Amino acid sequence: MSSPRIRSSIARTPRTFYWMVVPAVVIFFALHTIPVLSGMFFSLTNYAGYGTWDLVGFSNYINLFQDDRVLNSYGFTFGFSIVSTLLVNVIALAIALGLNSKIKFQAAFRGVFFIPYVLAILIIGYVFNYLFANSFPAIFTALGLPGLSGNLLASPDFAWVGIVITTVWQAAAFNVILYLAGLQTISADLYEAAAIDGASGWRRFRSITFPLIGAYFTINMVLSFKSFLQVFDQIVALTAGGPGTSTESIALVIFRGGFQGGEYGYQMANAVVYLFVIIIVSFLQLRILQRREASFS
Amino acid sequence: MKSPRTMPHPPGRRRRRATAMVVAAATLVALSGCATSAGTDVVTLNFFQFKPEAVGNFTAIIKDFEAENPGIKVIQNSVPDPDTAIRTLLVKDKVPDVLTLNVNGNYGELARACIFADLSADPVAETVNPAVQDIVQSLGTCSADGADEVNALPFASNASGILYNPDIFAANGVEVPTTWDELIAAADTFQANGVSPFYCTLKDSWTASPAFVNLGGTLMPDGFFDTLRDEDPADATVSFQKDFADAADKEVSLFSYCQDNFASRDYNAGNKAFADGESAMYLQGSYAIPAIRANNTDAAIGSFPYPVTDDADSRVVVSGVDVGIMVGRNTPHAAEAQKFVDYLMSPEVVTAYSEAQSTFSPLKDAAPNNDPALAGLEPYFSAGKIIGFIDHQIPAAVPLVNLLQTLVITGDTETFLADLDSEWDKVAARTTTQRQGK
Repeated sequence: MSSPRIRSSIARTPRTFYWMVVPAVVIFFALHTIPVLSGMFFSLTNYAGYGTWDLVGFSNYINLFQDDRVLNSYGFTFGFSIVSTLLVNVIALAIALGLNSKIKFQAAFRGVFFIPYVLAILIIGYVFNYLFANSFPAIFTALGLPGLSGNLLASPDFAWVGIVITTVWQAAAFNVILYLAGLQTISADLYEAAAIDGASGWRRFRSITFPLIGAYFTINMVLSFKSFLQVFDQIVALTAGGPGTSTESIALVIFRGGFQGGEYGYQMANAVVYLFVIIIVSFLQLRILQRREASFS
Repeated sequence: MKSPRTMPHPPGRRRRRATAMVVAAATLVALSGCATSAGTDVVTLNFFQFKPEAVGNFTAIIKDFEAENPGIKVIQNSVPDPDTAIRTLLVKDKVPDVLTLNVNGNYGELARACIFADLSADPVAETVNPAVQDIVQSLGTCSADGADEVNALPFASNASGILYNPDIFAANGVEVPTTWDELIAAADTFQANGVSPFYCTLKDSWTASPAFVNLGGTLMPDGFFDTLRDEDPADATVSFQKDFADAADKEVSLFSYCQDNFASRDYNAGNKAFADGESAMYLQGSYAIPAIRANNTDAAIGSFPYPVTDDADSRVVVSGVDVGIMVGRNTPHAAEAQKFVDYLMSPEVVTAYSEAQSTFSPLKDAAPNNDPALAGLEPYFSAGKIIGFIDHQIPAAVPLVNLLQTLVITGDTETFLADLDSEWDKVAARTTTQRQGK
């Protein structure tokens, strides 16, 4: 440190950047990496979250695959994620196309569509909870449709639909922003050329727009699927996993068993499996969708 | 570490080192969350208080206690979902100095894990009604340093019966039912007269369990849970499917008298509706009375024990310790914590609380609670005709309330009993050493 030669070699990289990076790395390591590693360790124990524990090897993992409650939660979470991802991307792309065209009040519309994303999902969940319990039944009753006047969330078979509706309403906004950014990158010349060639609107979308925002489509699909696999807040606010256990997501089962059920070690094993499942699914999605992108280029 | 302001102005190299130390220190402080206290001789007790509706009562109690003991400051922490909150604190190894908890199955698991101090040497332990202390002890104790530890002192007992609206009963000419058939007949009468017999609140899944613990607790064979715990699931002589069919059937028939939107109404809505006289009966225990009165101070409330069978004399009241007091096992302020516990357990404080919160005093020789809403249950409590909550015998990892919620919505008793058996067996297979109170 004291010799001038060493100092000159360090001086070439501005020290400011170290001050930016090192604290961030330390904090990330302490608050994220260490808990992950300790969680992985506890998945090999029978720790209840308090008191004493013993190492039990992989028996938590073996029990996990025999636990139908856990398997049901995987089924529910994947079903929910696939339906929500498709709906969110179709709706977001449609809205983005509309907002990207020359319409009046374009800026105002963009603002309005972005509002749901600003609100906390937990708050939205409680609001929709109220709507499903009171407003929608009243509206359908007034419209003379008594068959739809029940509370969707109180039905074990259809409560998931209510969760999907709430989630899509909130999540579409973020994907609209990404799609809009993608649509901005397409040059207007292409559309002019297509118009001269007499291509219809649908043909223009299929042959120009969609291929050119392929990368945005990929990232939207991967990001939304990953975040829907981690669904938690809106379920807590809407159904708390009910009626019964019909809408328990994986994250909810981990939280309940780990912090409420005194099975911390067992649910840590669930969390480790869950982590790898999300990594593998996202990786596969990227591979498949990027190959599709490449075929258009 | 010296603060940078008092340092002489350092030359470049030293300043860099100082900056590095400051950044490192700042990072560490940000991570550790600054746990410093003013170095005075006032001892601060961290008091975890689980009952949101009793925050006001405890604030007043603490104020009086601090006036008597100027050297002790008590900070009351109250959170929603206390059973989860206490476990997250325990995961972080932060046991509060003094706690109140609902003395349930969760408490039993924590007590067996030796989280709480032994209070058996405390003289106030002698003032407790032994029948009530037995209910506490039956849930589990820490047996690390020998048996007979007392890990919690009962502060308030509740009783679970059926609440009813005497005005509506009188208007419809219905007497308080003493047998199961009379109860069903009463419900039919109300329904025929266009009155909702029960107001049910299945949005909160737990609200299906008060009825179930009364039905199951009365109808199950003696020692059911001990046998179930000791037996090998492969050749069990008892099971929920064998022994709880009657209780599940009666649960379904009770809930078939609910109002139409029962699956989308929550506990708070139920308390308000019953306070406003929207139903003749309400399947909740004494603990709901303060919340009902909060909505309507003049609410007409009476109570009677569940008539589970056709034998009026066999009626019992399910009673649990609504509020128990514990001390953290390794608290650095044991003497001050004991002072606070002794103050809480003094007869004046317990009696005042039981009157304010419509609970029963768990102290020996306590005067009966004169609340008219409890008049139907009080004789049973005083005579010791009480049984514990059976859901406290079921591990928290079994989603009992969710299964009950499905049961009363679908009415499918066979699936419910089969699910309950399989969940019990799965958890038993994962049963861990910490449950044995090692």
